[in-house]
Order: sequence, then C-alpha cells, then structure tokens
Amino acid sequence: MIALKDIEKYYASKGVKSYILRHVSTVINQGEFVSIMGPSGAGKSTLLNIIGMLEEPTYGEYKFMDEDVISLSERKRIELYRNHIGFVFQAYHLIDEMTVAENIEAPLLYKKVGGSERKSRVADMLDRFNMVGKKDLFPSQLSGGQQQLVGIARALAAQPSIILADEPTGNLQSAQALQIMELFKKLNKEDGITIIQVTHSEVNAAYGSRILHLLDGVIKEDVRL
Amino acid sequence: MFKLNLKIALRNLWKNGGITSINVGGLAIALAAFILVMMYVTYETTFDKGNPNYDNIYIVGRTMPEFKTNYTPPPLGKAIKQNFPEVMAVGTLKKGGFEFAISSDANTAFASNYLMVDYEAAKMLQLLPNEELAKPANEEGILFFLAKESMMTLFPKKKDDKPELVTLGSKAAGQTAEVKGTISVNKHSNVTFDALSVRKELGKNENYGYNNYNTYIQVKSGTDIAALEQKINTLYKNELIKDGQDVSTDRYKQTTIFLDPLKNQHLKPMAGNNAAYKVLIALSVLAMLILLIACINFTNLSIAQATKRAKEVGVKKVLGVYRYQLTFQFLTEILMQCVVATILGLLIAELLMPKFNALFNVSLSIWSANNALLYQLPLILLAITFIAGIYPAMVLSGFKPSLVLKGNFQTSRNTYWLRNSLLIVQFSVAVIFITSLLIISTQLKYMRTQDVGFNANQVVYIKNIMMFSDPRVFEPVRQKIMRIPGIKSVTVATGIPDGSENGSNGYTVNGVEASIDFLDVDFDYFETLDIKLADGRFFNKAFKTDTANSAIINESAAAKYGLTDPIGKTIRGCSMDYKIVGVVKDFKAQGFETPVQPTLYSIKNPCGNAKTQLMLKIDQDQMSEAIATLKAQWPDINKMDGDNFRYYFLNDLYGKLFQKQEQLQSVFFAAALLTIFIATLGLFAFAKYMTNNRMKEIAVRKVLGASDVQILKLLNSSFFAMVIIANCISWPLAYVLTKKWLETFAYRIDIPVLPFLISAAVTILLTVLTVSIQAAKAVKANPVNALKYE
Repeated sequence: MIALKDIEKYYASKGVKSYILRHVSTVINQGEFVSIMGPSGAGKSTLLNIIGMLEEPTYGEYKFMDEDVISLSERKRIELYRNHIGFVFQAYHLIDEMTVAENIEAPLLYKKVGGSERKSRVADMLDRFNMVGKKDLFPSQLSGGQQQLVGIARALAAQPSIILADEPTGNLQSAQALQIMELFKKLNKEDGITIIQVTHSEVNAAYGSRILHLLDGVIKEDVRL
Repeated sequence: MFKLNLKIALRNLWKNGGITSINVGGLAIALAAFILVMMYVTYETTFDKGNPNYDNIYIVGRTMPEFKTNYTPPPLGKAIKQNFPEVMAVGTLKKGGFEFAISSDANTAFASNYLMVDYEAAKMLQLLPNEELAKPANEEGILFFLAKESMMTLFPKKKDDKPELVTLGSKAAGQTAEVKGTISVNKHSNVTFDALSVRKELGKNENYGYNNYNTYIQVKSGTDIAALEQKINTLYKNELIKDGQDVSTDRYKQTTIFLDPLKNQHLKPMAGNNAAYKVLIALSVLAMLILLIACINFTNLSIAQATKRAKEVGVKKVLGVYRYQLTFQFLTEILMQCVVATILGLLIAELLMPKFNALFNVSLSIWSANNALLYQLPLILLAITFIAGIYPAMVLSGFKPSLVLKGNFQTSRNTYWLRNSLLIVQFSVAVIFITSLLIISTQLKYMRTQDVGFNANQVVYIKNIMMFSDPRVFEPVRQKIMRIPGIKSVTVATGIPDGSENGSNGYTVNGVEASIDFLDVDFDYFETLDIKLADGRFFNKAFKTDTANSAIINESAAAKYGLTDPIGKTIRGCSMDYKIVGVVKDFKAQGFETPVQPTLYSIKNPCGNAKTQLMLKIDQDQMSEAIATLKAQWPDINKMDGDNFRYYFLNDLYGKLFQKQEQLQSVFFAAALLTIFIATLGLFAFAKYMTNNRMKEIAVRKVLGASDVQILKLLNSSFFAMVIIANCISWPLAYVLTKKWLETFAYRIDIPVLPFLISAAVTILLTVLTVSIQAAKAVKANPVNALKYE
C-alpha cells in the first residue's frame, strides 16, 4: 500500500544540511498496524507527515497505492485525503465552532456524500462511540479523551483505508489512552483498516503488528510482533 | 456544505463580537460617508441629464480679451439658425435682472429670478408648464408663468388652470399682467427661475450691441462641434460688420465664439470657474481615501484574526477541501460582513442626510426612485468585498496544514512591511486632515475676529427698487426715517458691503490714469458703516459741492496714484472733474479673498447705476421697536415701492462670505474625525495582531526577568516609530496644501506651527494608548500559557 524508497529530508542552512530523515525505505501493506517509535527529534512526526503528504521529502520515492505521490497534483492529493486517508492528531484538532455531530459530518460533506447517507453515517458513528447524548456539544465542552474519540470518529466517518495518528494518546490519561488503543486494534482487526501511529509508549506500540524504530532519521529496527 | 460554512461563520463572528462590530462598524461609517459623497457627486454631475437632447445642446459664448462670457446678442442666434442646417434649434434667453413684486388682490409674492425665453428655448430646455405649451399666437403675445409656490401664495384657493390677473411691481404703479398658469421648476437644471415668460421671439429689435442674452443651440447628433464653432465665429464677425458695429478695435479682433456643451454648464463652464468641479473631485478623492482606509483596516483586522482560524484551515485541508473552496468560504464571510456594513452605512447616511443637505445646500434623498444608488451600491459592495477580502482569504486559505497542526502556530512576519506601510498611510492621511482642519479653523477665526474696517453690527439693509440717485429725492425719505426713535443714521448707495463687486472705470489724477472701482453713496454712508477717516472729511450736507463734484477715495486708491497729499487734488473720470475731499481707511467690503480695491466714492456719478440699496444704523436696544415702526410706516415713507417692507441684517449678509470656508471646515472636521477613528481601529487590530504574534516572545522575556514597563516600551516602540514617520511624511504635504489654500485669501494668517505639533501629539497619544491597552493583556498574561506547547 505504501512504498517508501530512499526518503531523505533535510534543511539546508548556511550550506550545512541538517538531516531529519536519511535513506528511509520501507513497505507497509494493507491491514498492517504500524507504530513508529523513537526518541524526540528522531524524525517520527516528519515521517508520518510525509506518509500523510503534509510534507514533501527533499529526495526519494514514495508510492501510495502504486501511485507516485511526489509528482501528484494538489487535486489528486486532496482526492486521496477524501477517499483513503484519515488523520488523528495529538491535539485532536476538532473545529471549535462545530458541534460533535457537525465535526463528524464535515469530511462527508467534502466527499459529497448524499444527505440521508450522511445522517445515517453520523448517527452510526455517534452510536458506535456512545456519544449520541453529546452530539450537540461543542469540543470545548468535552474531556480530552472524548475529544479524541470524536477525532477518530471524524477520521472513520469517511471510511478511509488508512488512519495516520500522530501521538493520538499523547495528551490523554492512561485509562483513556488504553480505550483509544483498544479501539484502534478493533478497527484494524475487524474493519481491516491500516493504521500507522507515532508513539512514545511501549504499551501503545504493543497493540500493533509492527514497530519501526527511528533514531536520528534512520530506521534502526523493523520489528514484527 | 454552504449551510455548515454559514453556521461556522456566524458562530465565529458571534464569538469575536467585539472585533466583528469594530470591523463592520468602521466600514459602515466609511461607507456612509462614501454613499453621501457619491450621491452628491451623482447629483452634481447630472444637471439637465433628463433632457432628451442632453448631449446635443450647446451654449454659444464669446471669448473676449479679458474674460469669457455666455452673453451674446439676440440676432446671432437667428443668423446661426438661418445659415447652418446642422443646428436644429436655437433658443434665446434673458434674465430679469432685479427682484419685483407680484400681487394678487390679497397676497404678494416676489420674483427674484425672472427669466424671459423664446418658444424654441422653452421647448429645447424643457421649460414646460404643467399643461401643454402653446406657441404664442402673435409677435406681441407673452405667456407668463409662475412657479407653483408663488402661485399658491398669490391664490391659495386656486384649483383650476385658468389664467389669473396680477399686478407687477408696486401697486401704485398699477401695471397688470395675465398669469397663464403654473410651471414646475426643475431645481436639477442649469436654467432655473421663479417666474417665466415665453414669447414667440425675444430681442426682436435689438442689434449686435445688446450682449445681454443667452443663446442655446441644439445640433444634430454627430455634428463636428469644432468646425461649427469656426463657422459661427466667421458668421459672427461678418454679421458685426453688416450690423454697422465698430470692428476696428482690438476688442473686436480678439473676440471669438465658443460652444460650451450643456453638460459642462453646471460644474465647469468655459465662462466661469471650475471651482465646483475641483471641490467635487476633492470630495470624491476624500471619500475614496476614507473607504480605502476602512477596507485596509478590514483586511488588517481579518488577518489579525487569522491565527484563530488556522487550525480550521489545516483540518479542513486534510479532510479534503480544495484551496479555492476555502478562499470562497472566507470571501463569503467577508461579503456577509460587508452586506451588514452596507445596510448600516445606508442607515447612518440616512441619519446624516439632513445635516449633509444643509451643509451643501441640496435636497438629496436615499429613498427616491430612479436613484443611481440602486446599481452603484451592489457594485461598491462587490468592490469592497474584493478589496477587503481577497488578501485575508488568500492568506488564510494558504496555510500549510503540516505547520498549523503542530499546535503552536505563528503567522509569518513577511507581510509586516506591507501592513506597516498601510498603517503609515492611514496615519499620514489622518495627520494631513487634522493639520488642515486646525489651519482652516485658525484662518476662519482670524477672519471672524479681524477688524474688517467697518462695522456691520446693527446695520439693517432694506430691499428697495425705487431709485434714490438724486440726494434731493432721498432727503425727505431720510427725514421720515430719522424721525423713528432708535434710528441713528440712514444712507443709500449703489451697493452694500456684502462681498458684491463694484463697477470700475478709468480715472486720472495728475496725468496718471488707472482703472479703479467706484461706488455711489449718499450722505452718512461712512458714518452708518462706522468707516474710519484717514484724512480730510466725510461728505457733509454743509458743503454744497458735495452733491456736485466731491469725491472720497480710499487709501488703496491714494497709493495706486501715488498721492501723498490727496486732499484738494482733482480726479478725472466719467467726463467729470472730482475734487478729493477725504481719504478713508481701507475696509474689506469684499471679504478676505480679494484685496481691498482702490475705490472712489462719490454722491454724483453720471456713469453709475441707480442708488437703491438702503442702509440704516439702528440702536441695539431699540432695534425691534424701530423695525416694527419702520414696517408700519414704510408705505408712507417709500411711496413708490412701499408695499412690501423686507429687511436683512448686514452682518448676516457679510457673514455669508464665510459660508464656503465654514463648509470646508465642516467637511474637514468630518474627514479628520473619520480618518482618526478608522486609523485608530486599524491600529487597534494591528496591535492586537502583533501582540498575539509575540506572545511567546513576551513570555520568554518575562521568564528572563523583563519588567512590565520594559515590555510595554518594547511593544510601543515600533508603533511609535511608524507614527513619527507618518507625521514626517504628512507635515510637508499638509504645509503645501494649506499654503495653497491660504493663497486664495488676500488677507491670511501665516501658517502656524501649533497645528503640526497638535496633530503629532494627538496621533502619538492615540497610538500609545491603543497599543498599551492591547499590550497590557500580553503583559498580564501568565507566561506558562504561552509556553505550554514547547
């Protein structure tokens, strides 16, 4: 599904290149649950951003579903966002001016899903995450864990084939974190959704099927659990 | 999706209520000013536009060596009609010249603007009575029409269209005329009147010497005007020879004909000045500047809000929204605000309309049908949405999700220079307005307090058309008036000191010839006006010669002839030898714009007009009684024109000379207030933006031990510098502009320094205050909050 070959990312400043990623090559298949681990500054988030096409590598080859992403037009990239990729952020990044239901509905609007279909999918999500009673609340009225659930529900509403999560539990207490991880595992097992997460926690990583250890921009270890 | 965007927009605007109302309010106020000015401009530029032949009507005028004039002799029009087939119609007009009374049995109305036209002119210029205008049957037939208001005064109960009989002038004179009907006067036309007479032919027996008519021509569409002008010019010269006029003089050789289109008559006639046009352009520029500044503000305020929306942009982008959709979304939001601002602006304009109408002496209304606003407003709305919205929309929609979603997002600093310069422009304009306003006010104060050389207080001017040129005729009138208690002195003259111009003529003293003004007066003229004597004496009944050949000159005249001891000298002019008996100090009868003209005052003057202007000096304490008595006795005092006693206070009339300047002062006051207000709003937004952007920096500095005052200083310093730069830019501009304006006055102040200092002080104070209010929030904030995400 994802094929990275010799991905490099560096910032040049006064002729000195400071590398974030070096020679990163890996293949991630459909249905995998990959955790990217490593110390701060190892390039985890950058790698995830590159996979999510939010940043461009300085150098290298990246194929997403056999399509060369580097030369992709903005239009094509946005098509990928709409149909295949769901993002989950550490800081949740819900839209403050939208209610829970509206936040979940938003990606469906952009995907031009019909009105009745949208309603049923939103209802389905609310039901699945036990948030029917909270559907008209605004994000600021929810706890962190609840906000992250909405964030995941939003990502799932568009029925993506892959979820990219940047420290999804980073701002959460451990009980809530566990709940999120259980959810990811379930999504991966039951719905076959590919999940790539960046995490600091060994416990979280243990939920996945594969761990990529990054150190100073280089993949040091690729462990399959 | 649109519904959801709309919801987000409304929730956002609601959440930031304060900023939103500042944003919309500022724009609304600027729009109100713009709407008013635009309506005024539209009104002023569409005089006579209703005329179906608007583009094909021209007035025929003459260029003389010294000036241009629209006065032409009546036979010229007829010759044009006969010779040039491209001229479809020729209309001749003549103004009445003086005010006269029109009386019915019960009431009296006054015609101060009587107009005589021929049938073709009435047709061409659409001077049509309420019913069909019939062509006068014969050569002598005169159709006399009155404006509706006068007709209502004369015959309040009149319902039918039948002609009425009226008396013209004094009832004693007993001249009657038939009023054919009423005519509605189009105030939005170059040709206005309150009484109109239509004849088959006007100026029938008058030759090319009678240059006191106006000739309008209507040409076929597509006529070459320059060629026609040449042809008429040749025709005019040939006709003059045929007519037996003296064509040997330079005056004749240098006189040429011009054609001036009807559409230029109101604002920039060739014969006249284009001051009104310049004022209009200045006003438009002013209004556009204000609107532009408001738009700039809007932009700045929107960008200041940008960080708050950055997350939304980032999230939406990763959810699969195109950039153009975001751009459109933000533009729609701004459009919504602009719509509200426009509605508010219309309301404000409506509220200000009475004041505006009074200031510019017009009667505009927003709610009139066929208003040009109908199509102008939507265009303006779109334009301001575009100007104010496109930049923030581009900036907002351009945010990179990978940057904004990291959590601690700060907008880039690379647009600072742009906004810095916008702010400097705003403040420069504000400084120019403040400085100009203060200088205008100083000049006006100078004009009000400066000794004008005569005293118009307690002087009453009485309207009269009876001629009192001969002192012997006036004497009994004077004696009757003087018997009324409270009257201190009475005089009559050909003119009053209300800014009106005097006649001028060539006079010779000691072989020196010069053209100077003359004014014909009666005894007690100088005493009534309290004019100071420099040398010699005033006119006095004790000297028999005063009514024969005595003259008084003013100091300027003495200087013009280089006379050191003028008393007793002979001054020759108008086939008379005057003996100078006195010299008076100069007095500013014509106001402050023109210098005091060298003037000769005499009781006898064969070249002068009739003395009709009565002036009375009345004791202040007995003013009302004296006027009441005068009114009661007037028919007896002034037998020939005593039916109607009408009076004015001379200081009111003289005060009208300041009207234009007072109007300018009001405009500048409004403009200064507006720009300061809007610029402060802009500053407020910019300060907020800057402070928000520097939150982290401030937090770090505080953690490092900076004091509150140091941080306030830090935040203020860049704004302080900008205001200083703005002042430096505007001072020379304001200096040049006000100097140019002051140069239109013969008597003026030196440009004072104070206004410049005041405007600097005002802008600096406002800046420090506005910025500090914003900065105080940043100073008080707990640094931990700003540093949390690090």
